[in-house]
Amino acid sequence: MTKSNKAYNSFEVAQSQFDRVADLLDLKAATRELLRSPLREYSFAIPVRMDDGSVQVFRAFRVQHNDARGPSKGGIRFHPLETQDTVRALAMWMTWKCAVVDIPLGGAKGGVICDPHHLSAREQELVCRGWVRQIVKNVGPTIDVPAPDVMTSAQHMTWMLDEFEAVTGSRAPGFITGKPISLGGSQGRKEATGYGLVFTLREALREMGLRPEDTVASVQGFGNVAQYAIELFTQIGGRVEAVSCWDQADSTSYTYRKKGGVDLAELRAISDPFGGIHSGRAIELGYEKLSGDAWIEQDVDILIPAALENAIRADNVGRIGKRVRIVAEGANGPTTPEADSALKDRGIFVLPDLLANAGGVTCSYFEQVQSNMNYYWAKDEVLGKLDVKMTSAFLAVHELARKQKLYMRDAAYVIAVTRVAEACHDRGWV
Amino acid sequence: MADNEPGRACSIPYFSRDFLRSSARLSRIGEGALGGKGTGLARIDSLLSRPDIQERLAPYEARIPRTVVLATGVFDSFVERNGLAQFATSSDPDPVVARAFQNAVLPPEILGDLRALIDGVRVPLAVRSSSLLEDSLSRPFAGVYATKMTPNNQADPDERFRKFVEAVKLVYASTYYLGAKAYGRSVARSLPSEKMAVVIQEVVGSRHGPRFYPRVSAVARSHDFYAAGAARPEEGVVSLALGLGKTIVDGGACWTYSPAHPRVPPPYGSNRDLLRMSQSRFWAVNMGSPPVYDPLAEAEYLVQSSLQEAEYDRVIDDLASTYEASSDRIYLGVGREGPRVLDFGPLLRLGGSPFSTALRELVSACREYVDAQVELELACDWSDSRSAPLLGVVQVRPMLVADGDTSLSVDDLTDSTNILGASHAVGHGRLETADVVYVRPDTFDPRETVQIAEEVAGLNRDLVEKGRPYLLIGFGRWGTTDPWGGIPVRWEQVGGARAIVEVSLPSFRAAPSQGSHFFHNVTSLQVLYLGVSESESERIDWSLLERGTEVARTDHVTHVRLDSPVRVEVDGRNGRGRVCPVDPEGGLPGADGSRTESADGND
Repeated sequence: MTKSNKAYNSFEVAQSQFDRVADLLDLKAATRELLRSPLREYSFAIPVRMDDGSVQVFRAFRVQHNDARGPSKGGIRFHPLETQDTVRALAMWMTWKCAVVDIPLGGAKGGVICDPHHLSAREQELVCRGWVRQIVKNVGPTIDVPAPDVMTSAQHMTWMLDEFEAVTGSRAPGFITGKPISLGGSQGRKEATGYGLVFTLREALREMGLRPEDTVASVQGFGNVAQYAIELFTQIGGRVEAVSCWDQADSTSYTYRKKGGVDLAELRAISDPFGGIHSGRAIELGYEKLSGDAWIEQDVDILIPAALENAIRADNVGRIGKRVRIVAEGANGPTTPEADSALKDRGIFVLPDLLANAGGVTCSYFEQVQSNMNYYWAKDEVLGKLDVKMTSAFLAVHELARKQKLYMRDAAYVIAVTRVAEACHDRGWV
Repeated sequence: MADNEPGRACSIPYFSRDFLRSSARLSRIGEGALGGKGTGLARIDSLLSRPDIQERLAPYEARIPRTVVLATGVFDSFVERNGLAQFATSSDPDPVVARAFQNAVLPPEILGDLRALIDGVRVPLAVRSSSLLEDSLSRPFAGVYATKMTPNNQADPDERFRKFVEAVKLVYASTYYLGAKAYGRSVARSLPSEKMAVVIQEVVGSRHGPRFYPRVSAVARSHDFYAAGAARPEEGVVSLALGLGKTIVDGGACWTYSPAHPRVPPPYGSNRDLLRMSQSRFWAVNMGSPPVYDPLAEAEYLVQSSLQEAEYDRVIDDLASTYEASSDRIYLGVGREGPRVLDFGPLLRLGGSPFSTALRELVSACREYVDAQVELELACDWSDSRSAPLLGVVQVRPMLVADGDTSLSVDDLTDSTNILGASHAVGHGRLETADVVYVRPDTFDPRETVQIAEEVAGLNRDLVEKGRPYLLIGFGRWGTTDPWGGIPVRWEQVGGARAIVEVSLPSFRAAPSQGSHFFHNVTSLQVLYLGVSESESERIDWSLLERGTEVARTDHVTHVRLDSPVRVEVDGRNGRGRVCPVDPEGGLPGADGSRTESADGND
């Protein structure tokens, strides 16, 4: 992937997005200052005795951007290139995301600078337990509720939950989400982000007078979000013709295309747990193997970036085909501000990330509710609630965009920031 | 109803989440067909939207309840994605099938719409099957699949949604119940080809404390197979019951009359009989204390209440009369003390009976509109607060009228070669069969009718599997829900019978089963139906049956195969029927068990 010249800084992007909305809303200076930066930031060290007997110290973070609307919510990332700014940006986006789908939570994010690929399971467990011990006083079911994120899984959440319960002498499944079903996880969690994206996409198509069966999509990524988005999109009648994914062996990404539509089941059968598609077998199955960036230039109606941030940039936005009517952002921050302007100029309907991929945190909220009740819902119930939440959020954002002639992303931000600002005001903070 | 075949696509709008705020009465979710009920309702909805029709029905207002149809595509997705197709051909017991369906997940793409529906509706809901085969012109499946009502009155929308989803899954599961499979085989249908739509309707009625029900449920038919006295078949027939229509469709006690002659009471022997045999209990949706949790039970949220409770609810003032024991008289209305008789007297006899007039007009309009004989299920309700009394059309389905040239005289019924003669028969035509299943008179005991039903079901299953149609003979009313009134079989338990005989005994009188799903199947499948009276029962020649080869024998029931087939004949013009040997001398070659001449119009 070609990067733009200037180093991409997520927090700067998040702040510039906020500034624009703050101007639109004419926020007071104090409110602006409060919301522009995190309320609290924790930075700490986790010493771990490694398998070889040595001790390694890992730097870790927890950023709580704003909790005026409820306990903070956000994932924990394990990444060797983790930065405080990335965590700050993601925490801020979590605040807006929770607010736009109107769930009573604030935004947070956490991270540990480490590469799980080079850590044994025991070492990872010690990192998880160390992270909890350092922050235990500042997290919990009513304060801040972590979740899995980049390179963390249900197993990591289980270790963290166990440590939290051991330290606090309690059973508190509501402390963390993304747990295995057997330990209080929610049905539908793995589908939630992808399905949530398609719920909003379905409503967008309805508003535009398009029938799903008349549309074709191209998807960046073949991870959890992408797979379930493809699943539901095809179930409602749509067709996906191209999928891109990372190839670990070649250390690059490829796009696999099949005119007439990819077959999700056969792609799943030849993919690894991280969403990498086996190149040779895909070709045997009749897929064309194209460059990694080719997903963006396909002759389709819908683009779904569902992999990483910084996917649609100034340097590739011009390659988007003329037929494209919708970009549905499954990833966090997939579109740079420059590319976003270009999309806006072209009149492409954008389902912004904070709305389109909010299905994940919405289902996490459902998990938290269930865990706190210690009473669990059937999958139909979870997905039914999810659909209603996502559809209601879409309709609110779209209505505002239509009435005030706003770009969808701006409308989503206006709703989110207004809700958070009002909560801060009501509490007497500003 | 040529263009009303259930598989036919019908253009009704797709569900939108502001459906409940609109004036539309019908909406669909999902792709595919709407099934028999869904298609019928769609057609009638357009008829009832015409002002000229409403004028004909004044002062009543007729409309379908607000309805959402889950099209067959939803069922297909549900079955396919959850790997449930195996149950189409398995022999798993019903609870196993039901639990597998309850544990499955509805297609996520419809869950939001269902959730929005439940969030917006606060009256009880009826979740009904609407299969491709059900209620079709040629093969009625009425009553084979499940219907479930939910009170939908819980404060928590999650709870309402949960109960509702359970009901949908129960209806889906009933597609693959053993009874449905047996029935499918009996009408030579392949179950894997069956597809199920689901009709979701607001229940018509009013809440009365812990109960919700319509004042009157009705089944109205444009043609009367039982026309008697001054009534003519083409004038139709109506069955009425207080409360939910379950009373009628299950074959319970209801008030059946000719809408052209609403003042003529049913033929009861005495007023005391009338008091004893008229409806005394009614069905309602239970809006009170939550019942024992049982998502597999169709009647989980239904409650049966007494007439006293209906009187407490003040709904029988214009439906009941009062029996005075001292004079053995029945007085119209409930103005005096005494046992109440649900004869719908005030409704049918006062003021020229606009109710009956409206029903006749409605049935007539529907018959003209679809150009075929029809059967309507209605729920009727009125209250002081409602501007016009409501006739809610819950279901519309076609009915068949047999025709043919069989002719029987009075003398034919007493011919010495007969096995039996019946002066009360339904249908028209004749068939020959060598297989006879009969309840033995020497071992029959009214206390054991439930067991007899099971024995009959077992023999029926064997005969259906072997593809052998048969003649069924028993005592009391077949298909009754009252084990003291006859043999309480469900239709699928006798679905292989091509002719059915009900024998009345002095201690066990068979009353006509009309208005019930059971009877609908009898008539629509053109099963020949003979009612043998007490006096006629004395002339039955059981010895001829005993001479056949005994194929199977249970405690109370025998299956014999005769060397020479018997002929069942029914003359529908005068309601006579008989069963006699094809060759009285027994000279015909051995029967192969197959029908040698079909009942007219049944092939």
